[in-house]
Amino acid sequence: MKLTKLLHEKHEELEALWVDAVFKTYSEKAIPHLSSNADPFTNPVGNMVKEAAHCLFSALSLDDITIDAVKQALDRFVKIRAVQDFTPSQSVGVIYLIKPLLRSHILPAVDQHQLSDYLDLESRVDTLALLAFDMYTKDRETVAQIRIKEIRNQYAQLKRWAQHFNAQAPLGTFTGCGNQGCK
Amino acid sequence: MAKLPTPQMLVASRPDFPKEHWLDTKPLFAPGSYCYPEKKETMELLHMPNPHNWDPAADDWNLPDNWEKILCDAFEERLEKHRSLKLFMDICVRCGACADKCHFFLGTNDPKNMPVLRAELLRSLYRRDHTALGRLLGKHVGARGWDKNVVKELFYYAYQCTECRRCSLFCPYGIDTAEITAIVRELMHEVGLGTHWIMDPVKNCSFTGNHLGIKPHSFKEIVEMLADDCETVTGIRPKTPFNEKGHEILFITPSGDVFADPGIYTFMGYLLLFHELDLDYTFSTYASEGGNFGSFTSFNMAKKLNAKMYAEAERLGVKWILGGECGHMWRVINQYMETYNGPTPANMETPKSPITGTVFSNAKATKMVHITEFTADLIRHGKLNLDPSRNDHIVTTFHDSCNPARAMGLLDEPRYILKHVCNHFVEMPENTIREQTFCCGAGSGLNTEEIMELRMRAGMPRGNALRYVQQKYGVNHMACVCAIDRATLPPLADYWAPGVTVSGVHELVANALVMKGEAKRTMDLRQEDLPNVDADEAEAVEG
Ligand code: SF4
Ligand code: SF4
Repeated sequence: MKLTKLLHEKHEELEALWVDAVFKTYSEKAIPHLSSNADPFTNPVGNMVKEAAHCLFSALSLDDITIDAVKQALDRFVKIRAVQDFTPSQSVGVIYLIKPLLRSHILPAVDQHQLSDYLDLESRVDTLALLAFDMYTKDRETVAQIRIKEIRNQYAQLKRWAQHFNAQAPLGTFTGCGNQGCK
Repeated sequence: MAKLPTPQMLVASRPDFPKEHWLDTKPLFAPGSYCYPEKKETMELLHMPNPHNWDPAADDWNLPDNWEKILCDAFEERLEKHRSLKLFMDICVRCGACADKCHFFLGTNDPKNMPVLRAELLRSLYRRDHTALGRLLGKHVGARGWDKNVVKELFYYAYQCTECRRCSLFCPYGIDTAEITAIVRELMHEVGLGTHWIMDPVKNCSFTGNHLGIKPHSFKEIVEMLADDCETVTGIRPKTPFNEKGHEILFITPSGDVFADPGIYTFMGYLLLFHELDLDYTFSTYASEGGNFGSFTSFNMAKKLNAKMYAEAERLGVKWILGGECGHMWRVINQYMETYNGPTPANMETPKSPITGTVFSNAKATKMVHITEFTADLIRHGKLNLDPSRNDHIVTTFHDSCNPARAMGLLDEPRYILKHVCNHFVEMPENTIREQTFCCGAGSGLNTEEIMELRMRAGMPRGNALRYVQQKYGVNHMACVCAIDRATLPPLADYWAPGVTVSGVHELVANALVMKGEAKRTMDLRQEDLPNVDADEAEAVEG
């Protein structure tokens, strides 16, 4: 059987297995909730993982899919993993959990002459993981930037007032920000 | 030779993965998930118990020698004082209805962030010392004793609860986990454990009246600058009455609106509205803070910091107090103020709008009216000349801030106003708004930048719903009535729904407000060009 056809047939099963594997990176007590509730707003993480799974396996089955579409579908998933208590490898490394699934469910049915197709398939997993890695890095940068922006915004008026005051006062007499203990 | 782990091994190498009994797992004090501790000197200045230096990431928190006795006694004292606490300890049937209702659980997927287990952390201690079964059977019935790791765990999870009360909405017994968190925070303070982000504003409020510790003359100067900005935009310089006796109304708002972006634009909105109404009011430089970080510390501290409102109302001789857009300030007013600081000074009366004659009998007890109640009433009586088309570039949604929504039931007034000042208003999904609103993820003193990761995951349910309406309906703005939200939602939007801006309701009111004698508006309060105005036409009018 052709590899793509095989993949199409097993698409749903593999998707569900990968979703389970991702859920297992959370605490056992959280899994029943993640897997049972289908509402995107009251079970957002469950919903994000499922959205990501669908996108990843569609991309693997060589369905018509652009990089932008992949990024769009992985966006929420990568975003949440980027701010949860995971190491970077644990955050986006879950994409590599697709490989053992392919090896157990697809590889046994692959003929010798389809081997290079199979290797291509595994390489596509690498591509997806790399895309997710870029997104992860960008998300971490965003967190760093919003931290800085927030600090600036908190005191925005105060700074403006201090500058205003400083501009009016003779040089060297500006005494501080008005905060307690600041001289 | 050491072998490299497989990807699966790397991914699955979480320390608590996934088997240990929940009572045995220990919290991981990873950067980004805990707030910085308060300085010893601050705690000393405030006469807080057992001030000491400590580091949340260290093994030893330098607790006082008799820490266990202090905590047991303090817990016992609170069980006697608050009947509600004892009830909450006794009646939970562990039905789990609250389990998946907390945004911290939804964002972290950490089971101890399920409200039922968050409360169970304290309840397990209660069981050992206060129930016969617990004394006899110990761990078999979920009872345990105090140890230093338990203290760490209580601290960790008490600062991963924003006291938002969403869970209590779903509990068949009305168990309010927010109150349990408040008590745990009080207990932690008994052994000298507090956070800088909360205690520093508490200190500043204690000495100068507002969170940043801005002294009266500086506070006034900053407000004057905002009045100048109002003039740049509208051609009208609004009045800025300070500490004047004999007015009808005292206006109190969170100081964040005076110092922080984008809150200042909401503040400018108040100035312009009051000017247009020729409202008989004054600000106070002493009651220069509506916010109350004392309420994130202890009941006594909340009471102390809130006292300045009536003290100033009495000194200035006003009839009633109008309060700005704030969240927890209104929870304190609506739920606790009468008990804390009542009865109201003799000079105060049941609030009555001087413009419409409406009597706010709902505010009979506290004599304080929320500004959206006041403005909605003005609009209802046709007292404002509004041009909503000025906000036509905005497609706005409304975020119900937890405290106004769940602690005072303020759901319709802000929406009523928004629909009159904007032509494009879209609601977020039903199970994420009104009473069921999701917290911004950083209320109750968690709006500090060192825990940005925690805030982004805890705020995710809100960010996720916002992103949905952004993608589906082109929403590009979110209005709210809380100063903490005005600080916490912009980063949340930048992360989950980039492109969405955030403002208070009164910023949009003032943008739409057609004032007597104003110059042609070509920009909004942020001094950004109004896209729907023809620049040439504007110049022609000016010339
Ligand atoms: S009060 Fe809010 S943050 Fe606290 S446990 Fe309940 S839902 Fe969670
Ligand atoms: S919903 Fe109420 S009774 Fe049920 S587990 Fe939660 S706190 Fe306990």
